[in-house]
Parts: sequence; structure tokens; C-alpha cells
Amino acid sequence: MNPAARSADGSRRVLLMLLLPGLVALGVTFVLPLLWLFRASFASSAIGAFSGGDWTLSSYETVLTDPFYWLVAWNTLVLGFNVAVFTVILSYPIALFLARTESRWRGVLTALAVAPLLTSSVVRTYGWMVILGDQGVINSTLQALSLTDGVVRLTNNSFGATVALIEIFMPYAILAMLSGFGRLNTQLEEAAAMLGANRLKVFTRIILPLSLPGVLTAALLVFVLAISAFVTPRLMGGGRVFVLGTEVYNEATVTLNWPLAAALSVLLLVLFSSVIVIYQRALRALEA
Amino acid sequence: MVDHHVEIEQLVKTYPGAQKPSVDRVSFSLPRGEMLALLGPSGCGKTTILRMIAGLIAPTSGAIRIDGRDVSAIPVHKRNMGMVFQSYALFPHMTVARNVSFGLEMRKVGKTEIEERVKKALDLVKLTGLGERKVSQLSGGQQQRAAIARSLVIEPELLLLDEPLSNLDAKLRDEMRDEIREIQARTGVTAIFVTHDQDEALSMADRLAVMSNGRLEQIGTPREIFDRPQTDFVATFIGAGNFFSGKVREPGVAEVEGLGELRFSGEAPTGSSVKLMVRPHRLVLDGTGAAGVNRFSGTVEHIVYRGQTLTLTVRCGTQRLQADLPTHAGVLPEKGGEITLAVAPEDVTFIEKAAA
Amino acid sequence: MNQSTPFLGRFAWRTLLVLLYLFLLAPIIIVFIISFDTRQYLAFPPESYSFGSYAKVFANPTFISAFGRSLIIGLVVGLGAVAAGMLLSLSLARHEFRGKGSVNFLILAPFLVPHIVLAVGIMLVMAPIGLLDTYAGIIIAHLGITIPYTVRTIMMSLMSVDRRVEEAALVHGASPAMVFWRITLPLVSPGLIAGGVIAFLISFDEATISLFIVSVRTSTLPTEIFHYLEYSTDPQIAALSVILILISVGVVIAVERLIGLRRAL
Repeated sequence: MNPAARSADGSRRVLLMLLLPGLVALGVTFVLPLLWLFRASFASSAIGAFSGGDWTLSSYETVLTDPFYWLVAWNTLVLGFNVAVFTVILSYPIALFLARTESRWRGVLTALAVAPLLTSSVVRTYGWMVILGDQGVINSTLQALSLTDGVVRLTNNSFGATVALIEIFMPYAILAMLSGFGRLNTQLEEAAAMLGANRLKVFTRIILPLSLPGVLTAALLVFVLAISAFVTPRLMGGGRVFVLGTEVYNEATVTLNWPLAAALSVLLLVLFSSVIVIYQRALRALEA
Repeated sequence: MVDHHVEIEQLVKTYPGAQKPSVDRVSFSLPRGEMLALLGPSGCGKTTILRMIAGLIAPTSGAIRIDGRDVSAIPVHKRNMGMVFQSYALFPHMTVARNVSFGLEMRKVGKTEIEERVKKALDLVKLTGLGERKVSQLSGGQQQRAAIARSLVIEPELLLLDEPLSNLDAKLRDEMRDEIREIQARTGVTAIFVTHDQDEALSMADRLAVMSNGRLEQIGTPREIFDRPQTDFVATFIGAGNFFSGKVREPGVAEVEGLGELRFSGEAPTGSSVKLMVRPHRLVLDGTGAAGVNRFSGTVEHIVYRGQTLTLTVRCGTQRLQADLPTHAGVLPEKGGEITLAVAPEDVTFIEKAAA
Repeated sequence: MNQSTPFLGRFAWRTLLVLLYLFLLAPIIIVFIISFDTRQYLAFPPESYSFGSYAKVFANPTFISAFGRSLIIGLVVGLGAVAAGMLLSLSLARHEFRGKGSVNFLILAPFLVPHIVLAVGIMLVMAPIGLLDTYAGIIIAHLGITIPYTVRTIMMSLMSVDRRVEEAALVHGASPAMVFWRITLPLVSPGLIAGGVIAFLISFDEATISLFIVSVRTSTLPTEIFHYLEYSTDPQIAALSVILILISVGVVIAVERLIGLRRAL
């Protein structure tokens, strides 16, 4: 097994055999699609087909000049921002609890917090349709209590999409925070208490600053997941929520304008990468 | 009335669901400025005592008094005690200076005074000029110093140290041992430290409290603990020893089976069974070969050369004696040779509370 | 510090945690309750309880055949991702070569690209060569997003194998192939199983990429549910969801029993 002990030639052949299947699979499903996507975004509009041909900027022209797509991009950012902020706020107490507890239920409670990951997001979105729908849990309860006469619109708008996405991304946020809380430890809290810090001071001066990297990572993760989501915005929005994900799906499978779908995807990718770059800059600035 | 700065009385800690207490009716006290070592194997309850004094865990019963006042009900952040954690527990997101000033900031001390006191504390532990460093940029020994400065700058009632040297390598450990002793002497702070290392306890502490299974076995000066252990546990836990069971024939004289008459110090009633101990380095080579008090002739079975000393296993009658002889003592015995060992009666310790 | 915690603060903290957990688990709990409703339409609370919706699911040929396809696709993807992942992990963990960094990056890169973007790209590549709406197409697409996971779990297993054990086998006369079959493979089998299960579950639950690739012929269960939900939200879907949840939980519990989940993740 030691590479030095073998002839370099044989070792190379073995290596190639080991790498080839996986690399081909990744090439076909990752490298090629991205290149082809990029190329397709410069093609002239053709319905339901693309196989090379001319180069044009017409799809980008559409995206950049049509105010609708500016609105879509804006909606996407707002949705991503809201979802990221609320997911982090709601996940933080759970993550903090799981990171610090010495309870013997810790394993069970951790499993419970991430168990929703085992459920398809389609199924969980359906759960939220049941809860927030016009005849759903909340509306039925409100009407039974005579608190409202009519239906309170909680779905088919961005509110429903936001709520469902928050819940769907919470397990990711909790996991990201837990792995980012490595520097938290009870001895530091004890040390601070011994030096005269009360509970509030221990939290603001020790726990919060030490958990900040985990919180930021979770926020970034949720934001990038949220701006590329489409199943939940589509189902919860009932066709009335327009974000990049839903528009890409629309152009690709309904309108069948594939170059436009490609251009929107590139736009999403650009948005995605800039957020990551900004995040890394911010993190570096924070550490310095 | 003796000035007892710190008094621990009948302290008990039983964790919920535990069969027996982790700390069982422990009492001791310290005068102002003393350094006490809590010594014992892991799990003996020494750290639990330290954490109860600190206020990090609540005692099941008993009292912890500082200057006569029971502090058991005072929450940890108001107890004003300094603690050096085993892992140092320095705040990784703060500079060294901010770590040291933390306690003063919590006490709302003025900015200029904080600066002054932090500088003084850093000077005290020889970290002058390293205040702006990040914690991660410090070596192990420097982190230790920073942790000490952080707990001393608040002028604590009591300095608590949890296994202070266990995270340092051997050379640094010797250095920090003297250093901590010196800092403690210079500041005059009353200190309690926890350790499982007997050398550390013997060399650093004014007094040692030896613990086993949650109980206090013996408390005394290093010398008392080493030369006059009162229990089997203390005698075997600290240092090496030759142990003999015997029957007291007349005051100060016991008959040991297979060895003969052994004269010892301490008072044991005639006719009672006693346990006696002789430290290997208290046995000396007797060149005269004549019979006398506490002299035993035998065959050298085994020799280990240890540089400064020579460890012999000598068979005398049915007993085996272990003796550490200095290597500069003239002609050294050889394996298989006949020698005579002698020990002064004062060096034969009667273990008072030994299980019969 | 426990004794100094005010009772009220502790109570408030616990209540907050319980509420957050309830929010997190709300859709699953509600879906479970609704699945026993007897009515044709969505309403809450159920008037009476029965297994009627479950019976409807089992009588629905669309769902049953989609379920079968999802199962086949998931199993093939699980096995394929483990095989490819094992080979990739071996080359990365046991060989030094030029371009190793790039291979490492390539394996992690799919984590860094939104699935919907990948979906459009894969659709564009597959359309001209006739792979859209074929088993081969959906399986290849799912392999791309699951191989990074299997590489990760298998690499972790491989790293924990002591190289000296393999060397000892070599010294005692085993051929390299023998060492692989008799020593390395058994030692990394927890990683293989874990990777396979994760790949299966991802493929089985995946909707985003599938929606761009499959159509009538190879529709998977999540895509069928998606399309159904665009028009109706009746309790049948709740019953189907509960079945899916139970399958996922069952698989995970089986793995936990077999090798321990902590090691798997």
C-alpha cells in the first residue's frame, strides 16, 4: 500500500482506476452542467431546447431591464434575510441548551432537534400548509374562538413561505451552531463567575462573544439555502410568491425558456457567491 | 482564640442518585497566609471540596466560614475568591490584559486604577509587557501566569488552585512550583490547592490534607505527613515504606514475626497488635556486624542502581527489607553478599490508626 | 451555579425551549394528526379518526408506482455513491499525487452550489442526449449530489483506521488485495453503511433536482407529492407523509442499532 514501495507506473494506474468513476460522476453532474449552464445563458431564446449555436446577451438583457426580475431579486434577498435572521434567533436557544446541558436526555433532545432533516422538505411544507392554510389549524382555532370572522391569510403569500422556511432550516442552523460552539466551555463561565460576573454578564461577556462565529456560520448557511429555495416558496406561495428559485423553475419547466432559466441561475449563483465573499470578509474583519 | 481565616466544618457533598457521599464530614481550618494542599488520588473528593469553597457547587451540609462568617449562601460571583483552573480557563476572545482586568471591570473599578492594577499584577507574575498578546500566543507557562494574575488582581479572600501544574512539562513544573510559592508568600494570600502529586504537595504547601474516598485521612505539615503517617492510606500513598505487623511486648518494643525485636517511637499499649513503618532511606548500613538494637542481618537479593542511591532488597529472616543507600557510602554491597542494616527507633513509625 | 438560579428564570428558560421544540416539530405532529382524518378535504381538528386516508394511499396507483421507483432509484444511488465514494476516499487517503487539492475541492464543490442551479445545468446537459425522464438520468443526477456525502463519511472511517494494522498484515504475508478485502474493508464498513444510508435518504427525499429531470415516466414520490400539492391538500398526503417519515426514521434507527449514529454522522 505504500506508494514508495511500488513502481510509480503501477501506482499511477491504480490511482487512475480509483479516481475515475467518482470523477466522471462529478464531472457529468457538476462541472459539465455548470459550464453548459453558463453557455446556455448566452444563447438566443429557444423553446424547450438548447444545443449550442449563437451567442447573444438577450437573456441577460431581459433579466436586467425587466423591472419584474429586479423585483424578483429584491424579493429573494428580503426572503433570505428574514428567514436567516429569524431562523438564527429561534435556533440559538436550542443550540445553546444542547451545547451546555449535562442532562442525560441530551442525546435524545439533539436527535429530536435534527430529526426533521430526515423528512422531505415537501412533506414538511405540507405540514405548514395544514397549519397555516385557510381551513388550517390556526384559522380553525381562531374561528372556533370567534376571534375572527373571515379567513386570516397566512398562506399564498410570503409570510407563509417565510415561516415554513424558518422551520425547515432550523435543524441546519442548530447543527451549524453546535459545531461552531467549540470554544464554549463551562469552565470559562465558572471562571467569569468567580471573577464576579453575574449571569447576565457571563452571557454578554463570555457566552455571546464565544458563540458568535457559530451564529454567523448558521446565518450564512440559512441565507444561501433560503435564496435558492423553490419547493417551499412555490407551494406556500401558491404561485403568488416570486423569488429567483420559483422563476427559474417556471422558465425551465413551464415557459420552457431555457436560456432565460440559465441566465437567472447564473444571477442566483452570482448572488450566492457574493454573499459568501462578503461573509468571509466580515469574519476576517471581526477576527482582526 | 486562634485566628482561623478559613474554616471548613463537617462538609458533606452527596450527589443526587449517588450511593455514598463524595465528600464525607470533612473539617479543617487555615490561618491567614497559609498554603494548604488537598492531596489524594483522583476521585477522592478533593476537587469537590475546592469547588464547594469556590461556590461552584452547593454543599449538602456543613459550613464554610471566612473570618467566622458562613459564606455557603453567597452566590459564586459575590464570594470574592480567586481560582486558577486546571485548564487555566483563560477567555480566548480577550487579550491577556483584558483577561486580567475582567474581575476589576465586574467590580466597576475606575479605568486608571484598572490599568495600574493590571500592570502590577502582570509584573508580579513576570508577564510585563505581554498584556496586549492574545491568549493563544502565550506558552503553557505564560498562560498559567496569566491565570494567576487574573485571580490575584481582584485581591481575593482566598486563592484556589485546581491541579495548577498538571498541564505543564516536567521542567516548567519545577519552575512554576517555586514561582507560585514565591508569589503566594509575597502577596500573603491564603491559598488552597488541589493535587494528586505528592512531591508537589510536599514541596509547595505549608500543610497537607490527605484525602481518600471522600474522607480526610490526616492533616499536618509535610514533615508530619511523611514521617508520622497516622493511617495505612497516608503511609502507603506517600513515599515508599517497609511495613511490619507486630505485637507490643513492652512500651516501645514490638515483636515482629520472622524479624525479631523492633524498637519504635510512639505509644502503644502493651500486648496490642501494631503496624510499624520504616522508610527505605532511614535504613543504614552497619559495618560493625555486631548485634544490637534494631539491627538486622541478611542476604542482598536484588540491587537497583539509581545514580544517587542504591536500592537494595535484603532478605532478613522471613522478611524482605527495602533500603535506599547513598552511593557515596564507601564500599557498596553486592548481590548475594551478607550485610547488616540498622535503623534508629525514632525512625520506626507506629501507624496509630492502622486497621489491625 | 444551580442554587443561585432564580426559580422564575429557570422556568421561563424551560418554557422557551419547549415552545421552540414545539415549533420545530409542529408540521410533523400536525401531519400525523391529520393523517387519521376521515374527511375528503383539509380541516382541523379532525371530526373522527380512522385509517381511511392510509387505505386510499395504498389504493392509489400513482403513489404506489412512484414509491417503487423512488425505492429503486434510492437503492441504486446508495450503492453507487458508496462504491464511487470508497474509490475516491481510498485514493485521497492513501495516495499522494499532483492535483489532490483540486480533487478535494471538486468533491466538496457541490456543497457550495445551490441545488436549483445544478438542476438547471443537469437538465440542459441531459436534454440533448435524451437522458431526461430516464432512470439513468435521475440516478446520475442523484449520484452527483450524494457522492460528496459518502466521501466524507468514508474518509472519516478510513482516517480512523490505523495504517500499522494494514502494514502488519502486509508484513505477515498478505497481498495488497488481500489486505484490502480482509483488513481495510471490514474496518471501514461502518462508514460505508452510514454513507450508503445517507445517500439513500437524500435520494429518497430529494425534490429540487428531480423536479427538473423527471416527468411522467420516472417521477419519484417527492415529485408526485409536489405536483399533487399544487392542486390539493387533502389528508391522503398526510397519510403518505407519515409513511415516508416512518420509513426514514426506521432506516435511521436500524443504522443506529447496527453501528451507532454518532459514528455514522
